[in-house]
Amino acid sequence: MRLGVLLLLAAVWLALSGPYTLDGWLIPVFGLVSVAFVWRLYLALERAAGGGFEFFRAAAWLRLPRFLVSFAVKVAAANVHVTKLILSPRIELHPRLRRVTASQKTSFGQVLYANFITLTPGTITLDLRDDELLVYALDAESEADVMDGSMDRDVLRIEGSAD
Amino acid sequence: MSGALDIATAVLLVAGGFFCIVGGVGLHRFSEFYQRTHAASVTDTAGAGLMLLGLMLQGGLSMVTLKLLLVLAFLLFSSPAIAHALVKAAHGHGLALDLEIEDEPGRDGDAAG
Repeated sequence: MRLGVLLLLAAVWLALSGPYTLDGWLIPVFGLVSVAFVWRLYLALERAAGGGFEFFRAAAWLRLPRFLVSFAVKVAAANVHVTKLILSPRIELHPRLRRVTASQKTSFGQVLYANFITLTPGTITLDLRDDELLVYALDAESEADVMDGSMDRDVLRIEGSAD
Repeated sequence: MSGALDIATAVLLVAGGFFCIVGGVGLHRFSEFYQRTHAASVTDTAGAGLMLLGLMLQGGLSMVTLKLLLVLAFLLFSSPAIAHALVKAAHGHGLALDLEIEDEPGRDGDAAG
């Protein structure tokens, strides 16, 4: 898995700035150094997180398309809702602060869930403590997006711990 | 066919621009710090997303499209992290929220009390 990350980094570097010929040595050396540096950062991050990121397993990548579609649909719907709020002649908000349980097993899954909520306009994660999220929502409709648990299930599914 | 692609790109760019402006308008019309961050996230997601999508259509299956995809991916990771850092800092320093409904504090209570 760590090797996979290394290969991914090398591929990204090659795609972004890669020299496709082997004449000259300076640019490839720069590439090696920068890939090695970022890989070193990843290893430190993995240590700090107390374990590998399950996300890099092949199974998670297979589940990614469905997650991305669901993500795009939810974010688009939330964007339309908040746009209506912004453009309405009289701004009427009913802000609320709710505690939501993040039922993901890994910290990576919980962070993904918290970021999902924050990216969705109308809801934002104020804090994450243990397995509880502090979510601030603009009104009842925005709040319902989180409270109905569908985002939680999406992240559970890509984490691989859905029932 | 390239005519249809160009039209699709134009529509996506205009739509993206519309959401960017909406985000800016919301930033001014909303009355409180925490509410304004929601308006900004419209710009981050719908605005930037639609624009990048429109540009990808022009790139076709090429390195340009791959780079645009990476830009989108990095944006989707960095913008919630920044939004969260902003509101958590504000909340932690006790900037009051204007709330209609609030759940009871958790086991440890809130940083802002």
